[in-house]
Amino acid sequence: MADVHLRHINKCFGAVEVIPDIELEIPHGSFTVLVGPSGCGKSTLLRMIAGLEKPTSGTIEIDGDDVTNFEPSARGISMVFQSYALYPHMTVAQNIDFGLRLMKMPAAEREERVKDAAKRLHLEQLLDRKPSELSGGQRQRVAIGRSIVRNPKVFLFDEPLSNLDAALRTQMRVELAELHQSIGATMVYVTHDQVEAMTLADQIVVMNGGRIEQVGPPMELYDNPQTEFVASFIGSPKMNLLPGKAIGRDDIKSVGIRPEHLETHLETGKWAARVGVIENLGSDTVVYMETDDFGHVTVRLPGHHPLRTGDRVFLTPDEKHLHLFGMDGRKILAKEPLSAPAT
Amino acid sequence: MISKVFLRNLLRVTVLCIIASFVIAPLLATALGGFKTNAEIRTSAFGLPETWNFEFYNAIVSDPAFWRYLGNSLLISIAAVILTLLVGAAAAYVFAQIRFFGSRMLFSYLLLGLMFPFATAILPLFIQVRDIGLLDSYWSVILPQTAFGLSLAILLFRTFFEQLPRELFEAAYVDGCGYIRFFWRFTLPLSTPILATVGVFVFVQSWNNFLLPLVMLNSREAFTWPLGMMQFRGEFVTEWNRTLAFVTLTIMPAIVFFLAAQKYIVAGLTGGAVKG
Repeated sequence: MADVHLRHINKCFGAVEVIPDIELEIPHGSFTVLVGPSGCGKSTLLRMIAGLEKPTSGTIEIDGDDVTNFEPSARGISMVFQSYALYPHMTVAQNIDFGLRLMKMPAAEREERVKDAAKRLHLEQLLDRKPSELSGGQRQRVAIGRSIVRNPKVFLFDEPLSNLDAALRTQMRVELAELHQSIGATMVYVTHDQVEAMTLADQIVVMNGGRIEQVGPPMELYDNPQTEFVASFIGSPKMNLLPGKAIGRDDIKSVGIRPEHLETHLETGKWAARVGVIENLGSDTVVYMETDDFGHVTVRLPGHHPLRTGDRVFLTPDEKHLHLFGMDGRKILAKEPLSAPAT
Repeated sequence: MISKVFLRNLLRVTVLCIIASFVIAPLLATALGGFKTNAEIRTSAFGLPETWNFEFYNAIVSDPAFWRYLGNSLLISIAAVILTLLVGAAAAYVFAQIRFFGSRMLFSYLLLGLMFPFATAILPLFIQVRDIGLLDSYWSVILPQTAFGLSLAILLFRTFFEQLPRELFEAAYVDGCGYIRFFWRFTLPLSTPILATVGVFVFVQSWNNFLLPLVMLNSREAFTWPLGMMQFRGEFVTEWNRTLAFVTLTIMPAIVFFLAAQKYIVAGLTGGAVKG
């Protein structure tokens, strides 16, 4: 059971506290994605699991062992870096082999494992090349190959796809998902891209300002964001956050409504708006509108749409899909008794 | 339009030729001087010799003392290069990789050595070497030369090592590679350009050094070539042609060494300018 437990992790760089106090459980075999804006502490958290940073206080457990003071190589982890960090003066085979050599593994077994990894990642033809002779996607595969030969309990990925172009990124995303399915090991993945998080994860950890905002499966975060930050961070296009008075509630900070949960009518509706920019994505159309009273609103409409810039329309939110956030930015359950609106 | 480009190139070539002539003319005069008689050197120092006299070169090459001087110089220079590279790279590696209390102060202190004129240190150096009991041995020249080469070496090495991506070390560290192994397996193999650059600087400096061997070495058996040359001058006071022939033969190894490492030197000096 290669689960990872972070208990009361605190991390300071000098006088700056980047992570005040984090408690996190990463279950065995899960694909956990740490996601958040840059500077939220997600990479620091990953580096602490890897052993590249030491927590100021708190403990890290992998597979039930307290590894807080262990060297990275003794933790049973492997890591894929954003820049791949391939060893430039070694061939692909030597790159993949290096960690095993340091483990003093017999040559026959090493060769077996390298061959196995190369086959899995389609690198057989490239084993004698140097990293400088490889494309971005191939380098990324070598970096992954280097981590899988070690048979780690936990795989760590630090924004591994952010140096790739969009098409390659999508392809590698699928390959990573397949890899996780076939290996079944615990994987922890850091990204600032919420699309990567939604597509890869079975558990997403949304972080902001060194704190965990919410932990859960992607769809739960999408359907049921617990804080205003999660609501605005997860989902593309972003959820609309309107002031409480938009639905006649002055006692709440904001009301959230996803772009696909707004109905557009030409004659009647709750809010009047003017059509701004229209983005046709083929399968659906994203329309940016300016409401008369509450500022910008994004609407997602299925298929093609005959709307034109400058049209006046009326919007009606789907009452079942409203998310209410209190003054502290936390979600208020609709069933909770709210202070009665002023009459 | 074309003529403008042509003119600019012509100007460029002219300037380069003038600058090159400053370097080449003395070298040529030296090499040719070895073929001339003393009288001819006085009358035409830069011209071609009237008759090509090979006897001076022959005399030097056939003298076993010459080869001994050359051998001593080579031994001392190579030892100084190896020591400087090893110690300098190891020290620079620590400065580049590890933050520790007082590292900046220590580094600045080492850099002070760059401003320290060698000649002013010669007397305390002599006393120190005498007290240690190394006088008249190769080490009396090798060790001070290494010490004086270190500040430049550490400065250049540290700048280069700092440009090696940090993630490289972290990846190796996760693979189970410690600082010392990383130094041997990664830092040194990836730093050949700067190693060659510093190596050439130290080699040429050591090869041409006159003052230090003069003070430290007393027995003819240990003499380096600049000292050997002085002996020649002593014996043939006015015989400039032999001296010039001697110099020509002795700067050859330095030139060969430079040409061999030239590619790396350029890469080392411009290192970091181009993405690797």
